[in-house]
Amino acid sequence: MPVIEVFIEDFRELLGRDVTIEELQKRLPMLGTSWEGESEEGFHLEVFPNRPDLLSIEGLTRAYASWTGAKTGLIDYPVKKSDYKVIVDKKTQKVRPWFVTAVIKNVDFDDPLIRSIIQMQEKLHMTHGRKRRKVAIGLHNLKPIEFPVTYTTKPPKFKFRPLGERFEKDLTWMLTEMKTGKEYAWTVEGFKEYPMILDKKGMVLSMPPIINGEYTRIDEVTSEIFIDITGTDLKAITEVLNVICTTLADRGTEIHEVHNHYPDGTVLTTPNLQPWVMELDNKYVNHTLGYEFTPKQSAEELEKMGHGTKIKGDIIHVSIPSYRADIMHPIDLVEDIAIAYDYDNFEPEIPPISSPAGEDPKEVFSRGLRNFLVGFGLLEVVTFMMSNRDKLFTRMCLPEEPICETSNPKMEAYDSLRNRLLPSLIEIISFNKHHPYPQNIYEVDDVVVIDPSTETGAKTKRRLSIVLCHARANFSEVKALMKGLLDNLALKAEVEEGGWDCFIDGRRFIAKVGSEPLCWAGEIKPEVLEAWDVEMPVAALEMDIDHLFRLVYMES
Amino acid sequence: MILVPLWGRLVRPMNPKEVAMQLHENERKVLLELKERGTATTEKLALHTGLSRDAVEKASGWAETKGVVSFKEKVSQFFTLTEEGNKYAKKGLPEVNLRNLLVHGAQEIGSLKKTFEGINIALAWSRRNGWANIDKGRIELTEKGRDITDLVEDRLLKTLYKSESVEGSVFTDTERDIIEQLIKRKLVIKSEHMDKSVAITKFGKEVIPELESTKGVRIITQLTPEMLANKEWKNAVFQRYDVSLPAPSVTPGKRHFISQIIDYIRRFWVELGFKEMTGDYLELSFWNFDALYQPQDHPARDLADTFYMKTPYKGHLPDPKMVEQVKLTHENGWTTGSKGWQYKWDPEVAARNCLRTHGTGMSVNQIAKLKPEDLPGKFFSVGRVFRNETIDWNHLAEFYQTDGIVVGEGVTFRDMKGYLKAYMEGLGVKKFRFRPGYFPYTEMSMEAEVWNEERGIWNELFGAGMFRPEVVKPLLGLDVPVLAWGPGFDRLVMQSYKVNTIKELYSNDIGLLRRAKLWME
Repeated sequence: MPVIEVFIEDFRELLGRDVTIEELQKRLPMLGTSWEGESEEGFHLEVFPNRPDLLSIEGLTRAYASWTGAKTGLIDYPVKKSDYKVIVDKKTQKVRPWFVTAVIKNVDFDDPLIRSIIQMQEKLHMTHGRKRRKVAIGLHNLKPIEFPVTYTTKPPKFKFRPLGERFEKDLTWMLTEMKTGKEYAWTVEGFKEYPMILDKKGMVLSMPPIINGEYTRIDEVTSEIFIDITGTDLKAITEVLNVICTTLADRGTEIHEVHNHYPDGTVLTTPNLQPWVMELDNKYVNHTLGYEFTPKQSAEELEKMGHGTKIKGDIIHVSIPSYRADIMHPIDLVEDIAIAYDYDNFEPEIPPISSPAGEDPKEVFSRGLRNFLVGFGLLEVVTFMMSNRDKLFTRMCLPEEPICETSNPKMEAYDSLRNRLLPSLIEIISFNKHHPYPQNIYEVDDVVVIDPSTETGAKTKRRLSIVLCHARANFSEVKALMKGLLDNLALKAEVEEGGWDCFIDGRRFIAKVGSEPLCWAGEIKPEVLEAWDVEMPVAALEMDIDHLFRLVYMES
Repeated sequence: MILVPLWGRLVRPMNPKEVAMQLHENERKVLLELKERGTATTEKLALHTGLSRDAVEKASGWAETKGVVSFKEKVSQFFTLTEEGNKYAKKGLPEVNLRNLLVHGAQEIGSLKKTFEGINIALAWSRRNGWANIDKGRIELTEKGRDITDLVEDRLLKTLYKSESVEGSVFTDTERDIIEQLIKRKLVIKSEHMDKSVAITKFGKEVIPELESTKGVRIITQLTPEMLANKEWKNAVFQRYDVSLPAPSVTPGKRHFISQIIDYIRRFWVELGFKEMTGDYLELSFWNFDALYQPQDHPARDLADTFYMKTPYKGHLPDPKMVEQVKLTHENGWTTGSKGWQYKWDPEVAARNCLRTHGTGMSVNQIAKLKPEDLPGKFFSVGRVFRNETIDWNHLAEFYQTDGIVVGEGVTFRDMKGYLKAYMEGLGVKKFRFRPGYFPYTEMSMEAEVWNEERGIWNELFGAGMFRPEVVKPLLGLDVPVLAWGPGFDRLVMQSYKVNTIKELYSNDIGLLRRAKLWME
């Protein structure tokens, strides 16, 4: 989630009062942000991705002023009529179809505003913009631009002078040689022609979402700007445009509309900073929050979140500001009321609901088993589910089998799910060579195996593994242990020679109850111990607990 | 693990009778032996008590802690002739032989070099000792050389020659200096011997009569089945132990502390009236994300955080009717009253398998299984979840979460605070708060935070919220309030067990497991 830096002086100036860091540290989190600590000239704040309007200091101050009661209710953001015209070429529709724009006049680009705009633009690109692929923002000096502006595409050989370069370069050069080009080339990968914004004279404003042209460079004397937002999702780019325009409007600028002509004949006039209306039933508010707000109280709380309200009986007509992209259901307004009233002010309560309770029977069984095994002097371990082929097969001298494997692991050591428990326990023994022996350990936990009959094609299975490791660990000891366990569950197993290849031939067995195998056991091969760098004999078993559970559970 | 009996150490003034009863058989033997001798080396004691020297030393050590003997270790030096030393002992040292020759008058060096054995050594040492002078090719004794009455070197060699080795204390200081010289000349070698001797103390002497009064009485150290069988114990006395002595701890078989805490958490939820739900680690993206109303391009679904499966790559979507409802809700809000995310929902993305990134997939799976007559219901789960992380001291690819949901008409935001307050208090958290948070699938969203006294800041502990209608209605068919939460508990376990890193928590270090305290709640 994005973290912004807020300069406390800028915040105070916009708020119009001498707020302290202590107050903000205490209060801002309750507005729905996360305090990330003080910085040299202010503080760092994490803003939730559903509130892009808080990414600028202007937006944050606006929300804080209203929430603390200084300036509540809906703010009107007028948009001036104009003749600015933009043409969206058909060629863009297959690569980056959406384009919205605005003109802002009377801008005073002082340091705080530049800082705020650059930070907001960067954070919007990362989060809402999904690293510029979904949304890309371009700010231009309006002065040199001759309308209509055209949004089109150009072949890779097309040349223009990109921002920060002295000469014209072709588009391929920009994608392969420039820093931003290389960073964002993936967003236009596979395109035959690249998106391009030009004015009437054919001068380049921008190659979105890569780089702007030098032609419309903004500097400290710029007082009128043209904003372009391109992207793959109209809803997202509109939200971003509204957030930027309202931020600039808070600085006393004038917003002018632009008419965007789409190839199908549609004309989108942007920005549209008009609020939209949602109806909220006050009964729904109280029903959800467990409270008894009057409609008037609810409306007051909503105004503290910047909404406009009109009450008609139990129904509140809420005018939602254009920058609040996150409101999509009345429940979002209920949350706004809860935040406005302050989460701290809701008394906790436990409702008198009676419903059947209890643990999962297999978990109860597993716990019984875990407690019982302690009686043998065994130490329980809790190991990772994730493993890899080397640990599961190569080091265990076991033949490779299909297992559940991830496609994008960050670490090779943990790229698959284990299909046996035993390798995890041997690994623990290999980590603990510096501790005294005997090291007799066990675990009752899950493994995952391939099973095409399930929804995912994999199945979780519960296993028990016991590893006995000391100078005299042997076959009889582990067999006696299994017998002790089964005797106590009133079960008798048929023991057959054979089983897993990690055990010494002639000193291993499979125990069956009925036709299904229940347990595999024996003395671990020296080859396996060598592969794990274990210098102490090991006798071990692994048991199918799902099977054991069925045997015991069915009987009782 | 077998407990070995330990013998006593004097920790407070005791009476002779009590101490006498604390003495082991071997200690009694040593002490009685010292009654006459007062002091004796362990060697001698071994000889006379019939015990091994090792046993004598151990017994004397124990006896010393009880104040009845004092134990002294003395280092003795022994000197022995080398082979060359032996030769000179027989033939005489060259310089002594030369001196004895020169007593009869001066000699020409030239002729001596031809006839005198070891002339170079003789000349060197004569000069160093100041016995002789060389003048114009002639050598003659000095006054010192002529007046020697005691040829110490010669005498010492002869003394050493007589016995195999001689203890150093018999020599005078002058003699010791000469011996050091002989050692340098490699004629004599020195060896050291540790001599341990034991002396009876004043208190020890007071104990003796007590010992003698019980002489012949059988003192029992370890009671044996034989003694019980032949009733020998009836006429015997039990050696008394000093019960204040430290004993080694027995390392028992034991449950892992994480597993003990999981048991506790299960019991906690059950006591609050919750029913357990279980699920699989490998889940459809549909359950992990889509059913939770997470848009398909949401950053949380990125490869960076989620393990997607290579095998099995994808699965089958569940009930088509429900899937269609989920799809429509994403696209336009369906009948939930929402605007939806307004994008084209792709069933292929939802069919992709992943490792569950939270336990919340189990919760929505549970909701999908519920029928209206099952409501209200309270459910919990405890299990591992997975994050595609690079593992370091503070990050693991898998850890535990305990998810909970309360489904039912009339459950409220305040109820959620109530349950979570109970959970925090149940885990012993004293200072905590709930602040607004953000999750795509909850509204109200809430972050539970715990006060970090050391750093003076709030630490995020877990997220919670009420499922959005866009989550509940497509799965259940009804818009019913659902409270949901998904706390991890690693941080609390770390605090409780004074473990500094998450990695250590899951290290299965056997030393740590053996000494970790029991979770007794």
